Amino acid sequence: MQLTGDQRAILNGERGPYLATCMRWLVEWGEVMGARRLVRCDNTHALLPVPNLMARGASRQTIDTYIGGLREACSHHTAPGCYCTVHTAFVTLDDLRVPENDPEQVRLQRELSDMAAAAGFIPTFTCAPYLVGNVPLRGEICAWTESSAVVYANSILGARTTRHGNESAIAASLLGLVPEFGVLLDENRKGTLRIEVSAALTCPTDWGALGYFAGRLAGLGIPVFNGAGRPSQDDAKQLCAALATSGGVTMCHVVGVTPEAPTLAAAFQDDVPGEFVPFTADTLRDTYASLRKHTGDEVDSVILGCPHASIREIAEIAALIKGKRVAPGVRLWVDTARATKGGADAMGYTAAIEEAGGRILCDTCPTNLRIAARRIVTHGFKQAHYARGMVGAEVIVARTEACIRAAVAGRWTGDE
Amino acid sequence: MTSSLLIRGRGVVKGRAEGEALVADATLSFWGEVDPITGTVIAAGHPLEGESLRGKVLVIRSTKGSSGTPMILNLARLEGNAPVAFVNLEVDSLAALGCIVNGIPMITGLEQDPFAVIRTGDRVEVDADLGFLRVTPRVA
Repeated sequence: MQLTGDQRAILNGERGPYLATCMRWLVEWGEVMGARRLVRCDNTHALLPVPNLMARGASRQTIDTYIGGLREACSHHTAPGCYCTVHTAFVTLDDLRVPENDPEQVRLQRELSDMAAAAGFIPTFTCAPYLVGNVPLRGEICAWTESSAVVYANSILGARTTRHGNESAIAASLLGLVPEFGVLLDENRKGTLRIEVSAALTCPTDWGALGYFAGRLAGLGIPVFNGAGRPSQDDAKQLCAALATSGGVTMCHVVGVTPEAPTLAAAFQDDVPGEFVPFTADTLRDTYASLRKHTGDEVDSVILGCPHASIREIAEIAALIKGKRVAPGVRLWVDTARATKGGADAMGYTAAIEEAGGRILCDTCPTNLRIAARRIVTHGFKQAHYARGMVGAEVIVARTEACIRAAVAGRWTGDE
Repeated sequence: MTSSLLIRGRGVVKGRAEGEALVADATLSFWGEVDPITGTVIAAGHPLEGESLRGKVLVIRSTKGSSGTPMILNLARLEGNAPVAFVNLEVDSLAALGCIVNGIPMITGLEQDPFAVIRTGDRVEVDADLGFLRVTPRVA
């Protein structure tokens, strides 16, 4: 890879050993991925979580080493002009009295949050930075962690980011550089799989089903959705999250919506394959069924806001639950960013949800917290997929209205 | 004595390692599908569900999903539970990053289908510096 004199100097330790390590990560990663140079990056979404492994037997040394790395990162300053936001934590910084929100871990995370803020990161603690002000412009080079947000940035906003891990996003935040490979280059943004959508998609979870189905087929490729119509922002969020759950997708094209895909031909850079995979009403039904394997109907947890809820979703949930009560023993959690909850507090939505017996959870999500649950109803395919393994729960994925009905009834009552 | 098989490939992340093969013609996300404390695959219904990655040569199509892959790989390594090498059909940029940061060799582009010639339990020597695998079948 060709480096400038300044870049080589950093690699050789001119700005200290930590930045030299950051540069080495970017350079080696770039070389492995076929990059020819580093390019300027003015937008990052970094991962700075205190691991939630202490209670489950991780050694003190593991935790100390890991947190030591994050503290080291936060003792430097973000690159001038770089807009840096922060991904979710494994705890909520709020005073949530559940065993999973370990006070020691919360203390460490708060400390790290303050250090990150002093270093120039905005401690958003969200998986959906594009809902809380970090909305990159078309063509903007970003270094984002959170696979669902990466797909959203590339596919819906027309920004450009490869899928980053914590080390590369930290390095990009501090150096303002990323290796130029993958979807940063026009030729790698060409569709690889054509999906013709004939199913009617009527809610965000339906779009999640489309993504969950397509991600499995696309692998590391770029699916193109034709005939799906126009998604809402919340629809697009579910589509992108599910694609990055069942597959290693970095971007997709929704024909007519993705900025660079006004037509099917444009999505494939004028090389449209004749072969396609249909997504029919039957496929839609089967995809739901694949994440609905449950041995009973009683429900203990209803989880909304995966990825983190938008203010509109919170408004809808508040309206749906108004005048009702969550059944005893059922946890109704709406997960969102602290910034969004601030708005929900001011607008009265939080009070409406809390009056009904629900709560708004910030900074993290139930799978990151690893809540104890036996049967979860959720509107997010991503949450449903990972909760089975991480929480060990049975899951039922369903549209928001059906989730709210389940919360009120204390059991799964079906789609209608 | 069983004879071993030499397969050439492309060393993506340099280094050498040796271990028992863990093979699945599947993708895997480290965040959410691997528990770094036990080193086991926790994804319900995954072909490797319940298997330990500790010390293994992980032969899968590629990693997928979450950007937490390098982080979980890092935590698993600190706990002594990481695989010793990756043998993948496709290079997922996150697995590559995780391997670079953690000093784990990775090889791809094998001249033979790894799922046809490597079985779980085989002894595999990975040389990503020179770009080959040496597979010694386990004694049945």
